[in-house]
Amino acid sequence: MVLALFLFVALIPPLAGLNENLNPDASSRFQIFLGTSALVLALWAISYNLMLGYTGMVSFAHAAYYGVGAYTVALIFKRYHLPILLGLAAAPLAAAAVGVVTGLVAQRAVRLYFSLLTLAISQLLFSLAFTWYDFTGGDNGIAVTVPDQLSDYTTLYYFTAAVVGVCLLLMFLLVRSPFGAALLSIRENRQRAAAIGINVKAYELAIYTIASLFAGMAGGLFILYQQQAYPEMLYWTANAQPVVVTLLGGTTTFLGPAIGAFIYVVLDNAVSKQFPYQFDIILGAIVLGVVLAVPGGISDAPTVFLRLRERFHRGEQAEAPPAESAGEAIRMFDVRKALATDAIQAEEVHPGQTLLQIEHLSRRFGGLRAVEDVSLEVKQGDRHAIIGPNGAGKSTLFNLITGQLKPTSGTVKFDGRDITGKAPHVIARTGIGRAFQITTIFPKLTVRQNLQFAMLAHAGYTVRPFGLANRIFSAEAQELAEAVGLGAWTDLPAGQLSHGDQRAIEIAISLALGSKLVLLDEPTAGMSAYETDKAMELVRRLATERHLTLLFCEHDMSVVFSTARTVTVMHQGRVLTEGTPEQIRHNPDVQKVYLGELEQEELGA
Amino acid sequence: MTPGQVLLFAVGGLANAAYLFIVAAGLSLVFGALRVINMAHGSLYMIAAFVTVVIGNQLGAGLGFWGGMLVAVAVAGAIGGVVEVLVLRRVYGREHLVQLLGTYAVSLIIAGAVRIVFGANYRTIVSPIPGHLNLGGYSYASYSLFMIAAAIAIGGGVWAMLYRTNLGRNIRAAVADPDLLNATGVNVTRLYTTVFMIGAALAGLGGSIVAPSQAVGSSIDTDVLVLAFAISVIGGLGSIVGSAVGALIVGMVISFGLVIPATNPFALAFVFIIMTAVLIVRPRGFFGLPDS
Repeated sequence: MVLALFLFVALIPPLAGLNENLNPDASSRFQIFLGTSALVLALWAISYNLMLGYTGMVSFAHAAYYGVGAYTVALIFKRYHLPILLGLAAAPLAAAAVGVVTGLVAQRAVRLYFSLLTLAISQLLFSLAFTWYDFTGGDNGIAVTVPDQLSDYTTLYYFTAAVVGVCLLLMFLLVRSPFGAALLSIRENRQRAAAIGINVKAYELAIYTIASLFAGMAGGLFILYQQQAYPEMLYWTANAQPVVVTLLGGTTTFLGPAIGAFIYVVLDNAVSKQFPYQFDIILGAIVLGVVLAVPGGISDAPTVFLRLRERFHRGEQAEAPPAESAGEAIRMFDVRKALATDAIQAEEVHPGQTLLQIEHLSRRFGGLRAVEDVSLEVKQGDRHAIIGPNGAGKSTLFNLITGQLKPTSGTVKFDGRDITGKAPHVIARTGIGRAFQITTIFPKLTVRQNLQFAMLAHAGYTVRPFGLANRIFSAEAQELAEAVGLGAWTDLPAGQLSHGDQRAIEIAISLALGSKLVLLDEPTAGMSAYETDKAMELVRRLATERHLTLLFCEHDMSVVFSTARTVTVMHQGRVLTEGTPEQIRHNPDVQKVYLGELEQEELGA
Repeated sequence: MTPGQVLLFAVGGLANAAYLFIVAAGLSLVFGALRVINMAHGSLYMIAAFVTVVIGNQLGAGLGFWGGMLVAVAVAGAIGGVVEVLVLRRVYGREHLVQLLGTYAVSLIIAGAVRIVFGANYRTIVSPIPGHLNLGGYSYASYSLFMIAAAIAIGGGVWAMLYRTNLGRNIRAAVADPDLLNATGVNVTRLYTTVFMIGAALAGLGGSIVAPSQAVGSSIDTDVLVLAFAISVIGGLGSIVGSAVGALIVGMVISFGLVIPATNPFALAFVFIIMTAVLIVRPRGFFGLPDS
């Protein structure tokens, strides 16, 4: 891959007409000029893809940072008469400075509003450039005459190629590092990323700033061959270029946008001079084609390609739909474990110290009291079930514990620390793992990566912008996958596994985080009876082997009574009663609450 | 500033707010029901403005404008219908990223097509309501006053549509829970097409109504889109009241920003500073719906 990167940069000049000294006619000079602009566009688009492809952020301010880079060079060189190379060094820094400030502001808003806010910021910077005549030259912009040593096209080309090459290499190393792994996990599933302890907003701001840094570099290089900075560079529609180029080349491969840049430059040169308006239509058609032809999101493009290729090579490779076969493997495993399970259930209960302490916790939504004055203790090593009819407040309680919701009043203490109202990623790091009601894993990452990334986040390695993420904790992830019965499927995308196996991944992620307490929100929801048995067997076994404390809510009473040692019953947001499964089974109040909700025999009455 | 001047610029601000409200209300309505930001909204506005000018001038001064407006709104609505069926229907429920890029692609295509059909020159049409109203030594263009009245009427119309008709009830239900609405037997697919066409027609109405007061050129699509976004962000997406409040703020800022010498060059910048400030305090604007 790295080799391809260098080849890519080195191979262009021959393609573009090589050398103006050997071939001094105007057309070859023009070709070299096009090559230079393609390089700069490639840098710009790849920096855009750091956001779009690696974190899924749509920014309309990227052109503004490109423009800031260009203006920085122009101002330093033209207005302050300092060396142009100094300007070039300052360009990315200036863009990053503007990027980090505006990024902080834009981050106040979420998703769609984030995109709209970047647009506003972009327009703000544009109107500054456009109207601040004394400083920026207003609508005339700033013309720059590049000094002699950089003015000949071939030298300029190689200079640009060298700078772009270094930038691409840096970005390439970045996306493959543990830091890049954190970005990828955010792209895949924000909620899950936070639940493995990644500070989503901080990483998004970091990559936004880094992207603006490289955009500023691209803008600075732009000045060298265009010799002009003008306000339209910052106008929000100028973002069409990186967007189209990125989509053309594909968002999922690192060098995709570079290929897109070359196609774009060739297309632009061939069409836009003669048919400027048709060019807009062609660009629109390309974007539309990519968007509509690739179901499930832009990042699915390679999947579509693979599917087409598979269709082409049908029968050559045996596909591995793992759901059934995995089930078979585990079935054998289950039989061997059956006796052990009984042994665990027969084991005596030794309630330890209080691990999780909830006191007078309440959460209101307007007039609705979803959780009202709930106090609860979860002991070390316990398997604590929370049951109650729909709307009893179980999921809200879980969300309050793990920080998805902030309580209206009351406190949550974990392991002696007050974690009330802390952010999800902070709570995750204290040692509370969570399996969500709807399975949340990183579906397009492999099973191994799912676990590896959790381990990286847990170890605090995701701040590292160097090293190869895929090489770190690889063996540990394999071991953990084997422990949850997924050893054979570690290199498959997690989303391809069966529902039950995805649940197992989720639990394994909690283990990878070294969680002391694992919250399971309806662990067997949507599972067949067979899958339910398998899943709960796994949960019990892991809890015993790894000394975990479990807190789970569940509607399936057979699951509750086969696994729980303590049961808390919730009703209309309050705790109704608490006791051993045996006590709960025979509690008349509980039966009353469930009457009409569940059949009597399900309570074991 | 004298009180007379304040009134003059306030009326100017109201006139700005008037057409901006009509456009932003369409954007907001579509977002509310479909959860899609239509990046091509400004393009529909631009098409309608061009159609109004061309047809209006063809039919002759005065009454011709109204004929042009009728055709323009119908054209914008129809194009909206086509876009909904061909593009949007295939991106509902997908990432916002896909929807933004999909409608952005449509805006690029329309921008190119408009430049081919209507050329790059600015076009104008004479006001169908000429004359001025003199008040306290200042004269007010009658057409500005008409725009303000029209916006109030259209705002009332949209409100009545939402709260007094079956269609409006269904739209509000779709805003709350489209799956449930589908389960009750309402054809949500057709409802979405209808809503999008209404949104497109509102964009068209805005473009048509503004045509006599501004020169119509091939870059007005992005100009108005950016302002409509600012309004939606200030007022909150999905709320008609929010659109009205946002439009008033933006309209006034532009009007007064242009007149205060110190701020003159930065009038537009002010809009975005306010927008940013609002988002920092209220991340979904004043009356905004959540975005999923």
